[in-house]
Amino acid sequence: MPLARIGQFLYRRAENVLAILLVVMFLAFMAQIIFRYFLNFPIGWTSELTVITWLWLVLWGAAFVLREDEEIRFDLIYGAVGPGVRRAMTIVFSVVLLVIYLFSYPAVLDYVTFMKVQATAYMKIRFDLLFSIYLFFAAAVIVRYAWLLWGAIRSRNPRRRDPEHAGSSL
Amino acid sequence: TVATAQEKIGLRFSAVFSEQDIRAEMMKRFAEAIGEDFDYQGYYGGTLFKQGTELVALQRGNLEMGNIAPQDMSNQIPAWSVLTSAYLFRDADHLRTFFESDAGKEMTQMVEDQLGVKILGPTYFGSRQVGLNLDKKISTPADMAGVKLRMPGGDAWQFLGSALGANPVPMAYAEVYTGLQTGAIDGQDNPLPNVQNMKFYEVMKQIVLTSHLVGYDLLTISLDAWNKLTPEQQEKVQAAADSAIEWSTAEHLKREEELASFMKEQGLELYKPDVDAFRAHAQKMYLESDLAKDWPDGMVDRINAL
Amino acid sequence: MSLADPFALCLVTIIALSLLGLPIGHAMIAGSIAYLYLAGLDMGTAAEQLLNGMYTSYILLAVPLFILSAEIMNTGSMTERLLRFCNTLVGRFRGGLALVNVVQSIIFAGMSGSAIADAAGVGKMMQKMMTHGGRYPASFAAALTAATAVIGPIIPPSIPVVLYALVSDASIGYLFLGGMVPGLLMGLLQMVLVVWRARRRNFPVEDPVPLRQIPGITIRAFPALMMPVVLLGGIYSGFTTPTEAAAIAAAYAFLISALLYRTVTFRSTYQTLLSSARTTASIGMLIAGALVFNYVVTVENIPRTLSAFLQGFDLTPTMFLIIVNILLLVLGCLLEGTTIILIVIPVLIPTAQALGVDLVHFGIVCVVNIMIGLITPPYGLLLFIMTNIGQVSLRALVRDILPFLYAMLASLALITFFPDLVLFLPRMLGYQG
Ligand code: NA
Ligand code: NA
Repeated sequence: MPLARIGQFLYRRAENVLAILLVVMFLAFMAQIIFRYFLNFPIGWTSELTVITWLWLVLWGAAFVLREDEEIRFDLIYGAVGPGVRRAMTIVFSVVLLVIYLFSYPAVLDYVTFMKVQATAYMKIRFDLLFSIYLFFAAAVIVRYAWLLWGAIRSRNPRRRDPEHAGSSL
Repeated sequence: TVATAQEKIGLRFSAVFSEQDIRAEMMKRFAEAIGEDFDYQGYYGGTLFKQGTELVALQRGNLEMGNIAPQDMSNQIPAWSVLTSAYLFRDADHLRTFFESDAGKEMTQMVEDQLGVKILGPTYFGSRQVGLNLDKKISTPADMAGVKLRMPGGDAWQFLGSALGANPVPMAYAEVYTGLQTGAIDGQDNPLPNVQNMKFYEVMKQIVLTSHLVGYDLLTISLDAWNKLTPEQQEKVQAAADSAIEWSTAEHLKREEELASFMKEQGLELYKPDVDAFRAHAQKMYLESDLAKDWPDGMVDRINAL
Repeated sequence: MSLADPFALCLVTIIALSLLGLPIGHAMIAGSIAYLYLAGLDMGTAAEQLLNGMYTSYILLAVPLFILSAEIMNTGSMTERLLRFCNTLVGRFRGGLALVNVVQSIIFAGMSGSAIADAAGVGKMMQKMMTHGGRYPASFAAALTAATAVIGPIIPPSIPVVLYALVSDASIGYLFLGGMVPGLLMGLLQMVLVVWRARRRNFPVEDPVPLRQIPGITIRAFPALMMPVVLLGGIYSGFTTPTEAAAIAAAYAFLISALLYRTVTFRSTYQTLLSSARTTASIGMLIAGALVFNYVVTVENIPRTLSAFLQGFDLTPTMFLIIVNILLLVLGCLLEGTTIILIVIPVLIPTAQALGVDLVHFGIVCVVNIMIGLITPPYGLLLFIMTNIGQVSLRALVRDILPFLYAMLASLALITFFPDLVLFLPRMLGYQG
């Protein structure tokens, strides 16, 4: 099915972007250290670039790359109940999340667009552009949970998690 | 009549300084002086809004009062960058005189018109002095050549480091002590109270009293909140701010004097360099730089003349 | 506080959504937005706090970098060489492989900031080696692997310590030093336990490594053994900030994998990057949610109110620490540790400060608590991971882990009552606390 192929293709590209963001963060750190200590010439934009990539990495990853079973959740109950109850739970939390994210979207949009009045210290990137990732993130979350809701209503069973995929960094 | 909690006017204030800071005591005095009409809520240590984000919070109505750095003003009003430059104000008195002058009123009016924020007054927190872990005697900017001087992050700060003749290094404030100890940096520039708080003096050998920047923030109130007040309340708020600021400035000056003798007791060398040579060098560099292109015509001269 | 109170409703929403299985980050954001609406505040503040919080928290960048270096080390043949090196050290004694498991975790702890990375990476290998041919009972191997992995984030570097530094403003450098002695102490206790049990249960010994092979094995493991030196040396010489040191650690891991161990391909590098970035995004969402929720907690003045309340009891610092230990141990059974560090600990910090508890000491006590939470039922993540890897029942695993759990609790008591165990090293290197 071509639609699924297109989806797969886009998902791979989203993964590419995520990996590149981490590489850029890493290289910016290297540049920062090298410039400061070996060339005795500090450059401020590197630390700015590292925090930008960090912000984008998290929100981009959470919006377009993370699968449901990779997110950190409390699954003592979710993991233990049968598929029917899990479906019901999915329906409830999806509805609540959708209502809250949709309802607050205009206020969030208002904040992000307001930030055009400021720019970053070194690279002079306007903050509305920099922070626009949150708008994509919130929109992607809305689409994802609408899809989960639809699936749960249509009696698709939410997958149980693989405990080795414990999404924690501890 | 005593207003009930519901009728009181809420004033949320957010600042980066800690609850133990002189300026927190200043705000306490302010809150006491404005009286029963108000419900003052102070949040210190940057817990409510992060450093540098308070101005937008004021503009968007998420905060009524703040202690805003002039650098944050200049981020939105380029002309304000003149008030962030080094060797502009000579001391706390000169700073206060400026904000009471016509030139000062022009600048604060700009903030009111463009940002919707009213400035109640400048809160002085000390003059920045260069502290070094080197033995080398400093008298002119030329002596600072090659000195790795830690400056806060951002273009303007790094430029200030260069204007002092040093080699500026951006480094997080919390890392400065270790940086001085290990020699990753040769020095830092902060007001004496910070040097004492952070115990930098333990890992420094000398303090060059460059007084290159008269450090101040601006006690502000959002215009929305201000305009809701009756003229009597406005007068009360302004008077409370004036006297709290005056008290705080005097406290800071007293503290700086005490600390100067304390640092000497700790075995540090404190001395005045050729400040005129530094001023000439810095003002020249500023005026030649891109930074000065947005400055109001003649503002530096008007301030110098005050 | 009535149920109609916005803060109560916010808490109920977050807890309910989390129990239902919504990712905790989203639950916190959603609950906080609900609060903002009910309290008549600007809902855009949710985005404001999340974005500015992430943008200004420079030290958090150490988290993805530590994740990355752990991943690189888990993918290369470095772990194999390390295990061989550990085997030459302690393999010849009774219970040799079990001792290898402990020593491996101590060394790995100096390179990685994550217990999960130890258990799911090298731990998998240890489990296979220990149970091969029925040498050790599977449940004991799994219990030991879980218990030893716990040392990882106590000895520096450490991801939970970075998170604690974020919420407490304490220096990462000194916190790292503070974890050193407690971590080694726990490793030592585990080795004593293993020796004792090895005698009683007559565990096997490994063939001694021929003397002439030892130099070669050591040399091959040497670059990996130098990792902690590179990392901590960078920080304490002032050559790098802790965050930059994390980047250097990743670069170093990559370089020795690529140049010395020659196990790096473009494909494997890409997979390593991607998997680190995924983990980063996943933990980042939790941090993001915590940032938004902390705004609500601050507006409601919770930390200050709690501090005032607790000070009414005339607590001594030790009494306060005991209460915190009990609280965190109970919460550790129920909640994921990151959530506890980001949500619960910030509320306790003003009280700790007011009582004069040193924040570096407090931080290490908290982190050890969180780590113990990883091996306490029912919600110990390491237990889940090891039941899965070791194919053992939770009951058998818990039975075999109990002695190690007691040893951990004893260490916790020691570092709680003797702050010098934590503060000795930091003070030697100039800490003023
Ligand atoms: Na182990
Ligand atoms: Na570690």
